Amino acid sequence: MKSLLRGVLTIIVLSIVLGAAVNLRLLRRFAAGEFRQGFIDRREYAGIRFITLAETEDLFAERTQGTEGLLFIDSRGGDDFAAGHIPGALSVPLERIQRSRKTAPGLVTLDFPGAQTLIVYCEGGDCQTSISLAKIIHDKGYKDIRIFAGGWAEWHAAGLPEERSR
Amino acid sequence: MIRHRWLLLLFRVIVGGVFIWAGALKIGDPLGFAQSIKNYQVVSPTLAFLIAVALPWVEVLSGAFLISGVFKRSSALLISLLLLGFIGLVALALARGIDTSCGCFGSLSRRADLSLILTDAVLLVFSLCVFFTRPARRNH
Repeated sequence: MKSLLRGVLTIIVLSIVLGAAVNLRLLRRFAAGEFRQGFIDRREYAGIRFITLAETEDLFAERTQGTEGLLFIDSRGGDDFAAGHIPGALSVPLERIQRSRKTAPGLVTLDFPGAQTLIVYCEGGDCQTSISLAKIIHDKGYKDIRIFAGGWAEWHAAGLPEERSR
Repeated sequence: MIRHRWLLLLFRVIVGGVFIWAGALKIGDPLGFAQSIKNYQVVSPTLAFLIAVALPWVEVLSGAFLISGVFKRSSALLISLLLLGFIGLVALALARGIDTSCGCFGSLSRRADLSLILTDAVLLVFSLCVFFTRPARRNH
């Protein structure tokens, strides 16, 4: 029994030491506050950053006043989008994109003509589709992508303008 | 328990090989694995990150030890506990309606579904066979 537990402890301790040694830089960056909102490597995805509700509201106001180049992207499923979304947002369900990338990768273009700043959001809370979609869009060449972490839940709770589609 | 040593060796190679492969694929992308753990919505982001740093090494080392025979029963115990944890996690995700990739093989991961639970259950049986089989005493 003792040797059994000794073996288990040895493997665990060895794993922690090796993991920490190999990822020392990453651990330092985590300790400095990075990756708290999402596990996105800022060096790999330099064009992606997280924004708050206030910043999203400002961008929405700019867009409403006619500033060009701003595009809101909703990464939730089609039904959720139809039930309510940020006015003017484009529905790009991550699930559909991932499915298309597997079945017909050549057909996934993800082009947003005229858009320079893309604001991506999903349901909010623990939803991850906005992060995954932002990474895909970033890989397509867009370099100013903002993730509204609060998502639709926060937007809706704040009583901000909404749009529904049939 | 199973006494056929070649069959036990086969179990060790299969389970150990799967764990080495799974761990090695994740070691290169700790952030991606942390995201996969977070997707299960069970642990905090900090814990997800720390698990992502250490767990792939636990998989690789226990897999390697299981095949080599060093700490054989300890590795089998650890792997069995991990598999039980994975099965519980996937079952919980299914029960809560969370549709996510399992995160088990890095970028090659498949969906966390019932077939994954079955695969893990088979590996668990193999691993438990190794764990409960004590080395035969030699009578001279």
